[in-house]
Amino acid sequence: MAILDTVDPRDRLRSVGKRMADPAEALAQRVAERVIDLVVQALDVNALIQRVDLNTVLDQVDLNEVLKKVDVPALVDRVDIGKIVDRVDIDEILSRVDIEALLDRVDVNALMARIDMDALIEQTDLGAVIAQSSGGVASEALDAVRSQFVGLDRFIDRWAWRLLRRNAPRPAAPAALMPAGTEP
Amino acid sequence: MTTGTQPTALTSLQGHYAGAVSRLAAFAIDMAVSSGLFALGLAVITYVVNLLTSRHVAWNKGDIIVAVVYVGWEFLYFAYSWSVDGKTFGMAVLGVQVVRADGTDLEPRQAVIRTLALPLSFLLLGLGFALMLVQREHRALHDLIAGTAVVYAWDARAARIRFLARQARVPRPVPGGQHPASGTERS
Repeated sequence: MAILDTVDPRDRLRSVGKRMADPAEALAQRVAERVIDLVVQALDVNALIQRVDLNTVLDQVDLNEVLKKVDVPALVDRVDIGKIVDRVDIDEILSRVDIEALLDRVDVNALMARIDMDALIEQTDLGAVIAQSSGGVASEALDAVRSQFVGLDRFIDRWAWRLLRRNAPRPAAPAALMPAGTEP
Repeated sequence: MTTGTQPTALTSLQGHYAGAVSRLAAFAIDMAVSSGLFALGLAVITYVVNLLTSRHVAWNKGDIIVAVVYVGWEFLYFAYSWSVDGKTFGMAVLGVQVVRADGTDLEPRQAVIRTLALPLSFLLLGLGFALMLVQREHRALHDLIAGTAVVYAWDARAARIRFLARQARVPRPVPGGQHPASGTERS
């Protein structure tokens, strides 16, 4: 009984099982690899891809989550922008652009209204160019005279309107000359 | 010449109804110019007649023929100027222009009607002109008759740019009396 207490009869079985399991596992591995090779060779991958609904797959992909994991700066650092630009044929691209259609979509007036002409003239030599092209004594005098008369017009109008005790403002301009977007 | 006048607030007045002062001043310039041209014409005619016939021609102010020719000349002066581009010489000087009441270009027919109606504004003790002050659209009696209006045709924005350009040409004083260091030379 003492011997039976110290010897486990299942140990022998384990040893036998281990000796048999290792070759069996190796055999199974080889069989699996062979089977996979055969299956892959037999598969028509193109046909398989055609049967996959990529939209459904993409719908299930959370791109935001994917992008969060992407180190964009590192990615950009690895891109040689110069090489890419060198490969781009700007002339070819421009020849495909319909400039007329593009310009039709641009509100040039709105664009011009956003330009600070005062700053532009003061900070560039454009002022000197304009002055040389249009800065005659006559035009300066005319500007001054007209300014004075316009000032007088507005002064007289204001007082006349006040004396007449009219509260409603006068229309600024005829309908056809009213700037776009302003009330008559 | 630097006038010192800064048309700062006038950048958006183009196309707006012109006021009475500009209009009356333009009219005064037109009367002076047209009358001067008429007098010059008479002088030339006198000289030519004198040269060809050795006869001295004297023009009498009360002469009905001279009056009729003068009225015809004034009609021609105003009607032709307005029908061509909506402005006379005086209006061009002061930057105002006649347009139709809706702001579109004047038609020759309206220019003629306006010219014919113009004396009416005088005949009613100047009340026709006074309408410019009280009428909402600054339209005088002859404007109301002809269906016209007078607007500013002066591009004050361009004037503003010219003004700034002149200012930019003038070197600005800097503390310490040194000329501002700029890469370009401004005369």
